[in-house]
Amino acid sequence: MPMVTAIILLPLAAALALAIPDTSRMQARIIALLAAGLSFAMVVSLTVRLDRDAAGLQFVDQHSWVSDAALQWAVGVDGISIWLLLLTSGIVLLGLIATAWRPPEREVGFLAAMLAGEAGLLGLFAAADLVVFYIFWEAMLVPFFFLIGMWGSEGRVFATTKFIIYTMVGSLPMLVAILATAFIAQDTTGQLTFTISELRGVSFTETQSTWLFAGFALAFAIKVPVWPFHGWLPDAYRAAPLVVTAVLAAVMSKAGVYGLIRIGVPTFPDGAENFAIILSVLALVGIIYGSLVAWRAPTMRMLVGYSSLAHLGFIVLGIMAFDIQAGQGAVLQMVNHGLVVAAAFLIIGLINRGTAGDHIDRIGGIAAGAPRLAVVFLFVSMAALAIPGSNAFVGEFFILTGVFRHHVWIAVLATIGVVLAAVYMLRLYQTAMNGPAFGANSRAIELRPVDYVVLSPLVGAMLVIALWPASIVGSTRAPVAQAVAPAQIAAERPADQIERPVVPNPPPEALPLPGDEPPIDEVPAPAVGEEASP
Amino acid sequence: MEPALAWIVLGLPLLGAATLAAWPSEPPRSMTRVLGVGPMVVSFLLTAWLYVQMLGENSDDRLVVSRVWEWIEIGDLSIDVALQVDPLSVMMMLVVTGVGSLIFIYSTEYMEHDRDYRRFFAEMGFFVFSMLLLVLAANFLFLIVGWALVGLASYLLIGFYYEKPPAVAAAKKAFIINVIGDLAMVIAAFILVVELGTLNYLLVFEAAPDGLGRGAVEAVTILLFVGAAAKSAQVPLHTWLPDAMEGPTPVSALIHAATMVTAGVYLIVRTHELYELAPYASDLVAITGAVTLFLAATIATVQVDVKRVLAWSTISQIGYMIMAAGLGAYGAAMYHLMTHAFFKALLFLSIGMVIHGLAGAQSLDRMGGLGRHLKFAYVATAIGVLAISGVPGTAGFFSKDEILASAWDAGDLGRVLWLVGALAAGITAFYMFRLLFRTFSGPEPEGGYGVHPQPSRWPMAAPVAVLAVLSLWGGWIQVPRGWTWIIDWLEPVIGRESIPGQQAELVTLATSIAVVAIGAAAAWWIFAVDPARPKRLAGRLVATRRLLEDQFRFDHVYDRAVVGPTRDLAEYLYRRMESGFVDGLVRGAISLARGSAMGLRAAQNGLVRTYVFVMISGVVGLGALLAWVVTR
Repeated sequence: MPMVTAIILLPLAAALALAIPDTSRMQARIIALLAAGLSFAMVVSLTVRLDRDAAGLQFVDQHSWVSDAALQWAVGVDGISIWLLLLTSGIVLLGLIATAWRPPEREVGFLAAMLAGEAGLLGLFAAADLVVFYIFWEAMLVPFFFLIGMWGSEGRVFATTKFIIYTMVGSLPMLVAILATAFIAQDTTGQLTFTISELRGVSFTETQSTWLFAGFALAFAIKVPVWPFHGWLPDAYRAAPLVVTAVLAAVMSKAGVYGLIRIGVPTFPDGAENFAIILSVLALVGIIYGSLVAWRAPTMRMLVGYSSLAHLGFIVLGIMAFDIQAGQGAVLQMVNHGLVVAAAFLIIGLINRGTAGDHIDRIGGIAAGAPRLAVVFLFVSMAALAIPGSNAFVGEFFILTGVFRHHVWIAVLATIGVVLAAVYMLRLYQTAMNGPAFGANSRAIELRPVDYVVLSPLVGAMLVIALWPASIVGSTRAPVAQAVAPAQIAAERPADQIERPVVPNPPPEALPLPGDEPPIDEVPAPAVGEEASP
Repeated sequence: MEPALAWIVLGLPLLGAATLAAWPSEPPRSMTRVLGVGPMVVSFLLTAWLYVQMLGENSDDRLVVSRVWEWIEIGDLSIDVALQVDPLSVMMMLVVTGVGSLIFIYSTEYMEHDRDYRRFFAEMGFFVFSMLLLVLAANFLFLIVGWALVGLASYLLIGFYYEKPPAVAAAKKAFIINVIGDLAMVIAAFILVVELGTLNYLLVFEAAPDGLGRGAVEAVTILLFVGAAAKSAQVPLHTWLPDAMEGPTPVSALIHAATMVTAGVYLIVRTHELYELAPYASDLVAITGAVTLFLAATIATVQVDVKRVLAWSTISQIGYMIMAAGLGAYGAAMYHLMTHAFFKALLFLSIGMVIHGLAGAQSLDRMGGLGRHLKFAYVATAIGVLAISGVPGTAGFFSKDEILASAWDAGDLGRVLWLVGALAAGITAFYMFRLLFRTFSGPEPEGGYGVHPQPSRWPMAAPVAVLAVLSLWGGWIQVPRGWTWIIDWLEPVIGRESIPGQQAELVTLATSIAVVAIGAAAAWWIFAVDPARPKRLAGRLVATRRLLEDQFRFDHVYDRAVVGPTRDLAEYLYRRMESGFVDGLVRGAISLARGSAMGLRAAQNGLVRTYVFVMISGVVGLGALLAWVVTR
């Protein structure tokens, strides 16, 4: 059975089913939870069956569509993307459960949009083809556009406009870059393809590589977001319903960093090397800037939103270090950040049950009336500030170890962000939970059974990763080593750091120089041998 | 020797804490007592058993690394979940679980009136688990994990009364200063990973002499020391400890006196192989210790809050240990760590009896003449004061003199530090006797006590009695020219430590007896002879007193130089950059887009040929661009 395709299409089919008029709310809930649950279960089964030592895509599902234009449906998973699929399907499932308990208006539509968004994200993470990747990249926007625009709070129109404009500014150059990549590659290999794995190893000139990388990187940087492309983030996070904010922050933000490690760095090593320092410095600025702004942010959502800017900076640093340890740490941190930030936004949602607004300074002393919530909130806060012993510490530690190996000062300066994380997370936790009680009805905030259902999987996953990070990290070594190897060569790293050879495409003996007359399949293979023999 | 015992010792307090935390509602007090104290006492007994087993082994066989699972393999770095059981960790385990058990028993009574009885024992159990992890870890990563988790436990317990804003602020300060220390250690770990490719203690120590360059080893040791200084409250990272006294008194006794704050000393002794390669870092450690012990002792002389007097004395005493460790006298440092755990826990618990008896009063101004009401606490405190002052025969006498004698033998720098240490010993006697006299002798305070002083019951008295005995006689396990049990015990870890020479012993002995006598006599003359004298003397030395009361203005400087500017910057970024610049830029872009949309409306004329024309020219344009990119 084509599992990966089924995982993507199931939520999409459910979303379409919900679009049938006269679906009752109860039916809609059942359909939505079933589809999301089944999709999650299939991802789990893939996770179990995955070959953890393999570098390439597994469970590949490839069907040619328009062969002349090289258009195809190609999806698959590897040791990196499997975790993002798991994260996406898990978080959306929990979000749907939370939604079912506190249904918004026009619930059926909300559920349909969430499912469509899930399908978009799953397709993006599973894409093995640039066109498929691009389609999901764009398609994903539509449901989120409606989720913010129709179910959002004050300022939602401005927020959606800004969100869409930002994203379009990024994705149009990416479309151009995708087409250019395929055409340029065709010139060297003689074969038109959009398959990501086949485009790796194509030798672009440095100029080509730089421009193509830039085209992709802009889209990724906006999506992450990397400072200073984060202008859309505060408004979108503020205006979106909290469950949607949780999905945006936990999952959609990973689309950008995932694109970097899946496409940007391995396909355009020279370009990536040229941009490595620039992107690293921007990420570093984002870490410190985001942390400082989070410290002074007036509302809980904004605080967590800006903290995301900082945390994602670490992930970008890890990828742009072209180091296996840092890369593995970055992948782990994608999962960690997803878990932590989703839990943080869900907790803010609980607190909002008993408060008039979201302002940090207008509430206090909730712990006295809601001790259980206080414990969970403390746990999540500690994970957010990456205290040693937490899951997030593992990710940050190995990211920075790898960065330290190559750029000592960037790693050292990034640790300032870790100190600031303690400052802003304690501000959030202490002002809301401690001190004299005021401004909040803490009885309404205390955890209820359904809240345990939603929060305990997240907390449980954080604990498992903290105690046994090898569970995730073990499967990322081969794919990460493969992804960073070309860039490591471009950056002239010592040979002992490079684990995987780069297979050039086309193989060197078959390489016709650009401008050579005979098409590739007419080059007589023995010709090489003839030249060598006399 | 059975290393599995160490895992059980480590796990029990966590199990107790987790059970308490998971209990669906506030359990009955008797149940909380069982779940809180039980695991602690069992842990101590098992540790004692482990110690006995280890005694039966040859000294070469006393080091066992017990690994359970591979925690991570990333790049070519592999880290295990593993414990290192050796004489050093067993000694720390004995102190932690032994003193810990006594303090847990004491707390059952001390916290009896508190609403959050269960939370107290759960957090204390979590602390003990973290502390044991810290001392048992077999690699730097889990050392850092334990290091941070004790910080978290300390944060929770300083802020135990979370509805009190000063407690919340103190907890935050402690946490953040400790995060700074943690990060220094994390950077040290980066260097070790990059240079040596391992974080395992044994492998690091084995590879360090050849694998680490001179600069790298100095950097690693200095960074580790920053972590040690933050945890052990050494200048300039000491400012959190006095504020930490906001926590309940048993917390101050266990975490902020006997165990956690001495972790820095443990760290230096544990990594002494590295410090021996780093002469500059070692000197820095020794000098920092000396500066700290002196400054803290002077500040302690003017404190009015009893617990803050004890807090500054803790900082000062840890300064002695750090100085010894910096000078390479690791055995002496560990010896003082142990005796200090006894007498400082004794002091906190006996002063705690006073505070408990007075329903929470902590100011010396509200005390005086209490010896008549609280005889037991009086005697116990007096023993603690004798021990910390180093009166001959008590625990503090032997260990402090060993540190000073080692300093005397440690070259020119050592002589200078010896002088500082000896001087501070006199100041120590002065402020401790001041504390004793102002609390227990003299007249009652004006206006009387808030409540009638209540003597304590046995759960509080019994642990205090045990600690009093240990403070009096615990020093006799190592006697100059007699026997050297501590040094012998630690030999497999720290190697054969040289014993101070006879001259050093004699000079130190004579000097310390003299300065302690002078200090104690001065306190007696000022505070005990004539109750009116302190008032008469208040007009003298106003500026100096002011400086001491402001604690040399460290807090003030940090506020002005670090916290304030950073907050202003953050405020500026939020108000100007975020709301003004970035947002303004976007709004500008949007209005530009709107404007051009107005213009483009003209193009939308409904004529198909226009659309086709525009589309084709677009495609051609794009194609031309591509062609240009491709061909160049």
